Amino acid sequence: MSTLADIQGAGLGLKRELIPQFQQFYQDPHIANIQFVEIAPENWLGVGGKALHDLTWFAERYPMVCHGLCLSLGGPDPLNIDFLKQVKSFLSHYQIPLYTEHLSYCSDIQHGEAGYLYDLLPIPFTEEAVHYVAQRIRQTQDILGQRIAVENTSFYAACPISSMDEITFLNAVLTEADCWLHLDINNIYVNSVNFGFDAHAFLQQIPGERIVYSHIAGHYQETPNLLIDTHGKDVIDPVWALLDEAYRLFGTFPTLLERDSNIPPLPDLVKEIDTIAAYQNRYGLLPIAKATPLQATLVAV
Amino acid sequence: MAALPAFQQYQLAFTAHIRDPKVHAKPAGVANQRMAVYRHAIFNNFFNIVSACFPVCQQVLGVRAWKKLIRRYVAAHAAKTPVFREIPESFVACLASMEDVPANIKALAHYEWVELAVSHLPASNLPLSVQHDLLDEIPLLAPHQLLAYDYAVHNISRQFIPRDITPTYLLVFRDPHFAVQFIELNAVTFRLLSILSKQTFTGRQALTILAEELGQTDAQVIIQFGTGILHDLLTQQALLGSTTSNANAT
Repeated sequence: MSTLADIQGAGLGLKRELIPQFQQFYQDPHIANIQFVEIAPENWLGVGGKALHDLTWFAERYPMVCHGLCLSLGGPDPLNIDFLKQVKSFLSHYQIPLYTEHLSYCSDIQHGEAGYLYDLLPIPFTEEAVHYVAQRIRQTQDILGQRIAVENTSFYAACPISSMDEITFLNAVLTEADCWLHLDINNIYVNSVNFGFDAHAFLQQIPGERIVYSHIAGHYQETPNLLIDTHGKDVIDPVWALLDEAYRLFGTFPTLLERDSNIPPLPDLVKEIDTIAAYQNRYGLLPIAKATPLQATLVAV
Repeated sequence: MAALPAFQQYQLAFTAHIRDPKVHAKPAGVANQRMAVYRHAIFNNFFNIVSACFPVCQQVLGVRAWKKLIRRYVAAHAAKTPVFREIPESFVACLASMEDVPANIKALAHYEWVELAVSHLPASNLPLSVQHDLLDEIPLLAPHQLLAYDYAVHNISRQFIPRDITPTYLLVFRDPHFAVQFIELNAVTFRLLSILSKQTFTGRQALTILAEELGQTDAQVIIQFGTGILHDLLTQQALLGSTTSNANAT
């Protein structure tokens, strides 16, 4: 049975293209630093045939994290309870201890009908939105019977009706929802460029005790002040520096490399996993260092 | 009904513009360059997911018409599924509701989607017998869909676009190596497999039912003929073997 404590060290987002290589290099010391994998339930719920065969292969060999894309925590349509229940039984079936989602929305209402857009859209940072999203996170946690982690998301368009900045919004939601934080290091950097703020100042305001999990990735520079979170290139130095600082400030936490396009062969890709492990070793490997007080209260959920 | 909070009004304006920028202006005060990131990302995402499932439709219609169709889909259709694999199914449903899309294209799109659907069908959990007694045990079908179309959808290409109605029967199934295959059937074999797909009749029972339906007084003729067909289907791995368990038994 996997527990949250099994999610530690460095991990890699599981892409279909990588599966044959994972199987080829399984137990090869070169990929030993890949200690867990992450999947999106939206890619794997209800699969059959080859995909089911592959999913079972991974579930038997790696601790897994579920990182959702379509729960639409900030969406204007009602929370998809039916979907959430499917996620719940998926988590339980594959003994996946952690489910995380984005602080964003991906659905709307079209001619009175709820519909998905399948992308991460910016929630306006307003007081009303804080309460709305926090309530939906609580509802999610109630249905799942477990705490979730919510990820700071990359955005491209500033919302003119926002009444606070991103870090204020993020912290207000985390506090009101009493959920964990899934800290995306690259997203801090991307947003700091896209909206002109200091990434390190943002990081220093993060409530470290809520971090259970993190992401790191590369991005695409469309213009000097517009970065697109493609997960299609190597991680750049300023993003590594942010990860290093996060570990220094908050202690280490499990960190996953996201690579969604332009994927190098696994033996090359693993070098970035090794880099994550090296940063972690610098500070001593303390899995989910600051999460203990929150874990203790989870029993009551 | 109470008015929506300002942040939700903004969200709906934001997505309405993304879905159909020609009809809905972007929300006031949002930089166009930044809005464009979302317009492009979302359209391209839909385009890539849908196009991957319908290579022949795309080829037959040509890229321009294909893009237009996907634009209409994004603009008008409320996709209901959070599961990415099911997006192509929602596209097929949307296409089916478009009056100006020809019936042969609708049928082709459905057929292309079936390949994806069959690749994910659950496997049967009925136990296979040691011997393959297709006649006196229940023939076990591989995960499959039995399909009847008005057009020879499996032959459609840029060079061959059937306009006349030709009743077409197909068995699409997943072989033990997870590859999706198809077999063209005649009307009688289609009917036989429809009877067998309930997984409750032995080969002999199914062929006897078929003989009655065909008005054939000597069922033995049909049984003999049908046994050959069942063995062919076994060779092609559309049948996995036979079972003594009835799918309806609890």
